Amino acid sequence: MARVYISSVIDAPVARVWERVRDFNGLPRWLPLVRESRIENGEPSDRVGCVRDFRLQNGDRLREQLLALSDYDYFCTYSILESPMPLTAYVATLRLTPITDGDRTFAEWTAEFDCAEELAEALMTNIGQNVFQAGFTALKRQMVA
Amino acid sequence: MPRVVRSTVIAAPVETLWSILRDFNGHDQWHPAVAESAIERGLPSDRVGCVRRFRLADGSELRERLLTLSDADMAFSYCLLDTPIPLLNYVAHVRLAPVTDSDEAFWHWESRFDTPKGREAELARLVGDEIYSGGFNAIRAHLAERAR
Repeated sequence: MARVYISSVIDAPVARVWERVRDFNGLPRWLPLVRESRIENGEPSDRVGCVRDFRLQNGDRLREQLLALSDYDYFCTYSILESPMPLTAYVATLRLTPITDGDRTFAEWTAEFDCAEELAEALMTNIGQNVFQAGFTALKRQMVA
Repeated sequence: MPRVVRSTVIAAPVETLWSILRDFNGHDQWHPAVAESAIERGLPSDRVGCVRRFRLADGSELRERLLTLSDADMAFSYCLLDTPIPLLNYVAHVRLAPVTDSDEAFWHWESRFDTPKGREAELARLVGDEIYSGGFNAIRAHLAERAR
């Protein structure tokens, strides 16, 4: 079982950051890697169990299912159903926590998955840096703007 | 039942902060409200269930029991047993997490408690500002002192 953990401080109130990231169909609006997204079967994007089908800038296609969404605890958990990455049992959680000191946001993004041992490090780096850290870096920039 | 939450970011690696906070008997070393601390019956301070006795800066005493200690999650919980301040059913949780992209530490401190009617806001402010935010500032000073 490989595990990725990336965290960051975003200089904006948690409600503002949450408004941006809670839309399970909204990745193209803030994650630079993602070109387009839709929810299957025309379901609302905050219906737990819904599936997003999205494409990256490089053409790769992924399908992910929403497993949990909390407007109270500010977190979202999802799993990968289909992806070009050689991994299985992928479950990730994006969680926000208010930093009362300065009215900022502590953002944590974790993922766990199974894969061949020799691929683990490359996958962890790719997911951690190119997706999670890139997402936080983009949010920091967008929240200042 | 008031709930008090304070959180901050400390400019130090999370392991450094945890090494200070995990000592349930060490808070007199850094927190300005605590003059003296001792663990009852000579138990080690990382033994879950141990009771610490504080003498506060104003001379009054309080006792707190360690309910949870997790090195895996860098977290601990404790409750008040005896207190000069009317905080009833007081349970507090401390949690640390690394800020991986800046090598700093996120520190979350929260509690719930009952109080006599009408004193909720006053006591919530006391706990949040004097104890928790005061603790954050004291740790910053403590770390700066150690670095010298």
